[in-house]
Amino acid sequence: MGVPAFFRWLSRKYPSIIVHCVEEKGRESNGVRVPVDTTKPNPNEVEFDNLYLDMNGIIHPCTHPEDKPAPKNEDEMMVAIFEYIDRLYNIVRPRRVLYMAIDGVAPRAKMNQQRSRRFRASKEGVELTDEKHRIREEIIQRGGYLPPEEIKERFDSNCITPGTEFMDNLAHCLRYYVADRLSNDPGWKNVTVLLSDASVPGEGEHKIMDYIRRQRAQPNHDPNTHHCLCGADADLIMLGLATHEPNFTIIREEFKPNKPRPCALCGQMGHEIKDCQGTAREKQGEHDEFAGTVPVSEQEFIFIRLCVLREYLARELTMASLPFPFDFERSVDDWVFMCFFVGNDFLPHLPSLEIREGAIDRLVRIYKDVVHKTGGYLTENGYVNLERVELIMQAVGVAEDNIFKKRKEDDESFKRRMKDKKKRMKAEQRGPAYLTTGQFAPQALGRRDRPDAVQNARHQAYDMRMQREQHNMDAAQSLKAMMKNGGNSSAGTSDSADNRGVKRKAGDSDSEPEPEDNVRLWEDGWKQRYYKTKFDVDVSDEDFRKKVVKSYVEGLCWVLRYYYQGCASWKWYFPFHYAPFASDFKDIKEMFTEFETDTKPFKPLEQLMGVFPAASGNFLPPTWRNLMSSPDSSIIDFYPDDFAIDLNGKKYAWQGVALLPFVDERRLRAALADVYPDLSAVEVKRNSLGSDVMFLSKSHPLFDFIHELYRTEAREGTEIPAELCHGIQGTLNLDDDPILPDNPVTSPIPMLRDISQNSAIGVKFKDPQYADGFVFKAVLLPDAKMPTKVLRPDEWVKGNGESWRPQLGFNSNRQQVHLDQSGFRALGHSMNRNQGRGQYSNAPPPNSYQHGNYRSSASGGHQPFQHSRQNSLLGAPPSFHQPQYPRQQQQRGGHGWDRAVQSQQSAYQQNMNRGWGGGATSGGGGATPGGGGGYQQQQQQHYDQRRDDWHDRRDNRGQHQQGYGSGRGFPPPPPSRRYNWK
Amino acid sequence: MSQTRDVTTQGITGHLANNTSHQRELGMAGESSGEDIVSEYLGQNPHLAPWIDSLRGYCETNKQWFARREFILRNMETFSTVEPGVPSSSLDKLISLSMVWANHVFLGCSYPQAVMDKIKEMSEGIVVQDAPVHRTTKDESMMKGKRSAKSEGDAESCVKRAKCGPNEIDSRPAGRTATWPMSQKAGPQPQAPAEYQPFFNRLYKTVAWKLVSAGGFGPNMDHFEILRSCVESCKQTLICVFVPLKDITGLPTGRTQKEGHVCEIRCQTVYMGTGYGRDESASRAMAAKEALKAFQGRKVTVKICKRRYKGRDVEDLILLDEQPRNQGFPPALSYPFQDMQQEDGSS
Repeated sequence: MGVPAFFRWLSRKYPSIIVHCVEEKGRESNGVRVPVDTTKPNPNEVEFDNLYLDMNGIIHPCTHPEDKPAPKNEDEMMVAIFEYIDRLYNIVRPRRVLYMAIDGVAPRAKMNQQRSRRFRASKEGVELTDEKHRIREEIIQRGGYLPPEEIKERFDSNCITPGTEFMDNLAHCLRYYVADRLSNDPGWKNVTVLLSDASVPGEGEHKIMDYIRRQRAQPNHDPNTHHCLCGADADLIMLGLATHEPNFTIIREEFKPNKPRPCALCGQMGHEIKDCQGTAREKQGEHDEFAGTVPVSEQEFIFIRLCVLREYLARELTMASLPFPFDFERSVDDWVFMCFFVGNDFLPHLPSLEIREGAIDRLVRIYKDVVHKTGGYLTENGYVNLERVELIMQAVGVAEDNIFKKRKEDDESFKRRMKDKKKRMKAEQRGPAYLTTGQFAPQALGRRDRPDAVQNARHQAYDMRMQREQHNMDAAQSLKAMMKNGGNSSAGTSDSADNRGVKRKAGDSDSEPEPEDNVRLWEDGWKQRYYKTKFDVDVSDEDFRKKVVKSYVEGLCWVLRYYYQGCASWKWYFPFHYAPFASDFKDIKEMFTEFETDTKPFKPLEQLMGVFPAASGNFLPPTWRNLMSSPDSSIIDFYPDDFAIDLNGKKYAWQGVALLPFVDERRLRAALADVYPDLSAVEVKRNSLGSDVMFLSKSHPLFDFIHELYRTEAREGTEIPAELCHGIQGTLNLDDDPILPDNPVTSPIPMLRDISQNSAIGVKFKDPQYADGFVFKAVLLPDAKMPTKVLRPDEWVKGNGESWRPQLGFNSNRQQVHLDQSGFRALGHSMNRNQGRGQYSNAPPPNSYQHGNYRSSASGGHQPFQHSRQNSLLGAPPSFHQPQYPRQQQQRGGHGWDRAVQSQQSAYQQNMNRGWGGGATSGGGGATPGGGGGYQQQQQQHYDQRRDDWHDRRDNRGQHQQGYGSGRGFPPPPPSRRYNWK
Repeated sequence: MSQTRDVTTQGITGHLANNTSHQRELGMAGESSGEDIVSEYLGQNPHLAPWIDSLRGYCETNKQWFARREFILRNMETFSTVEPGVPSSSLDKLISLSMVWANHVFLGCSYPQAVMDKIKEMSEGIVVQDAPVHRTTKDESMMKGKRSAKSEGDAESCVKRAKCGPNEIDSRPAGRTATWPMSQKAGPQPQAPAEYQPFFNRLYKTVAWKLVSAGGFGPNMDHFEILRSCVESCKQTLICVFVPLKDITGLPTGRTQKEGHVCEIRCQTVYMGTGYGRDESASRAMAAKEALKAFQGRKVTVKICKRRYKGRDVEDLILLDEQPRNQGFPPALSYPFQDMQQEDGSS
């Protein structure tokens, strides 16, 4: 699903689901890095039990980062991955389980998407190289300067696919990493680590879901386990809701759109490749000391609290006076199901449902409207009630026509507005077409030097007239010149900047050529045209249309089942490039019965053959590779070297549909049967299916049990005694090449040391198994305790004695942090003395424009979600009396503010640990707004009458902070979410 | 059994081959596609029908499948080890190539050159009506110029459409052909562009001034008149070839009006434009408008380009502006460079 789109929509609509992470940074002391002690309580004021890592979301940014130089080799990539995991571990501090899941072979339904991504990546790579080359030539011809072309090999991100050597190495390195941390990091000593590498089939997040599902279906599961899942996919939100675990949190990188990227040619920031001028590199900082650094802050993390999302959904979905009892849990499942219509990884989304156009709201509205007709829920435990779905679809179908028309209208008016805006901007830039000159030249008002009296006005007017005429003659001249030279003197025309000529030209280039849209969904006959252009069939071909609808219906069933019960069929996939219309869903009840059972996933190398373009064939053995390019190959049709991308109404190629042929599984297997004997022993091993592995350290209660298994060489699977491991169940099998305590582990990475004192043990782990046909229930578990509510209750009336205090972190009684007087003194002191350039000298901090995109202003959220950072958006500081500042504070804020400090030593420290500056002074700067919050909390009753004062002060402080941060080149102040002016 | 199969397979290819050659003799092709012949053939060999239908892909439309089925049946004999009903690797190869061809025609995929050459050969004679037009992004970015932005009239694009690689849609001139004043050559000489370039440079200037005096290029002018007077003031003449639309074969059946004419304009054997219109003068006006569009750029260039003529790729002299464009020329209606059996229709 359009990941950014869904997440953006969700976080705008439900702002309170987001909580910023508090991260304690390791400090450096005398050049030695002091690691963070993760045994300490979590600074986020919440304790998580299990941390799940969807590793592919980590591997990609670590191997080919977008905002920093790429790692030079594989070893550096591995180290980057380790550091990333360390960072997450430090933020989340799981107390029971760390589950790392790397994508294994995916179900066939997903393969089509993977295939299209990999083919596109390959195509884009080629096109980028071409463009680079072309522009490079151009620039050099113009005499520009470019750094010499790097010879380094491009990292082919396609190797992040199960079955490649890279993934094998990664699995190996992660084993080493886990053994190392278990042996050396006290924060890990009681944690059970599960590693599910690429040799275990299934997508990472779904392996995690499978684990959770299978644990919670067994009686020893702790229903109040607090889960934390790391990953940026919007799917994770659905998956988390689908578990029906009350405590489920997602952690992801803060989504920042339009992050500046260096130009691919010259490596400088601030322009794209097509605007590259080839000018010499500018010095970064006075002595070029910032060369190589990218002016963006480090990615920050945010939590997405699903329990808060559930609160929001409860408000939205609860229906009164139903013909059947309302069950919130089931309505959540229906909501998840409806989100699939809007987009998922396995089906193209319905043409009429676009998330940006409020499709989910529309669906919810329809859902509530037709509930009396449907008489029940759409889904149960991941099984779809098609009859009811049809009613929803028909209701969407009725609106379809209008949706398309409205889309066109919106599109047009958007374009119009953009055009107007551009025009305005240009007019502002250009100034009026004609200006009087000389003594008639316009003069600014209010200046002291008055214009002199006009002298000899007629002569002046004559001059101006002649000037004008000269201008026209020049234009004519240049036109003639252009004609004569057959247009070679293009420079001549543009130089004589006759603004009229230029205007015409610029106006033309503004209206970028639109991709031709033959479907024209907004005009009558759209359905015929859609089927004709997209499927190449006449609308009269009912059978074909039914086929498409049937496949789509199967798809909806498959996807829901996949989320709630696990992969129903490894074979099924949606065999078309486009979706049908909602109005085509007629008589769908009979369209789906059951999936083929006992399907098997592909082997890793088989899947590689299924998803790779021929250009990535180097990851495969030669004879296999040959099948991708030889005219005699019996599967050559799977590997086009170029393909069409249908923009399908979108603007950019990456949004379009890649028209790739589908893979015929039978022919693929048949062709591979011939080349299987060519595999080397290593490749055979890489091609086999592996198992999850469990790791523990010596201090874990389960350790002795496992050690005993190795000593007795137990050959059969052994169940985990539930009481030894927080009620976690599963079957243990001895590993063939195990990590054993006191056996040194050699480091696979040259720059890291071997583990001589190993105290970790590893064993194969298998999730609890259930009988065929077992249905995992999508319900709350009986003993589950619901977390306390976060949203303001609807019945809350303002002014009934107490005002509502919004909760901003995990803890409703969060203690706020303050800076004491000496801190302010130190701050003021150093500001005055060392600031050579003055507080105003700089622009706002480099990333002040990168605010989180989920400010509440956009949608009428229930709770304001303000950053103090917003202040920096307000523009130039109106007044700034920095030297006064500490004094002012003393005079007015003698209570509360200061008093709180003594009791909050620890909280203060936490805030320091946010670590955006390192030193004590900067920590102080960050603490300031926090102090405000605490003040507010404690002085709540007096708040109203003091409001104005307070505002004043806050403004001052906001500016203060800003000036400080920017003047010194520090990163901006941390997001403090503690102000709530309401 | 296998013997009968051989006979029958040869039967169909012979059948198809006969049909095509027959059509060639008549100077028309594709009007009755291979579909009828295939179904006739399958009617005679009913035992093959279930087998061949088992090769159909689930998501294939009738149109795609009928075309691919024809491709498979036509090429069965070259894959001598293919035995209907028996899975084999050579059958898989044939299926694979049929998919390559279908993907190329219907999805717009392209494959390594060796593969493309092979399917081109194998697909000889198969007619697909109204194949979809797909562009790869590469073309897309090349097409950013004005030319692609304008939308052409339906009929006009019908003519332009007939460009899909090995898919045999071609138009044949069945009307009159003008007699050529120039000495007849077999294809344009390599130095021909350089020879003609000075003339077109002069013409470019003449046209530019003419357009300026007419108030700029616009839809409401008599394009042909402007072009004619400019060419004549450069002491040359325009040559227009007209072909009634009904004589052009291989056009999509659905949207074609059967009336109307297509006109092709050349000057000094250099191709300038093609247009469609209700009558001859309207088509000529349209062609002139097309031709004038080339003069909107900074210069015009004469180049040798490949284009379709009578179902073959031929080299032609073409007047281009400096806009990069994909090679989507409409098929030639005439070929002023004497070669081979060309003169058969007009003599």
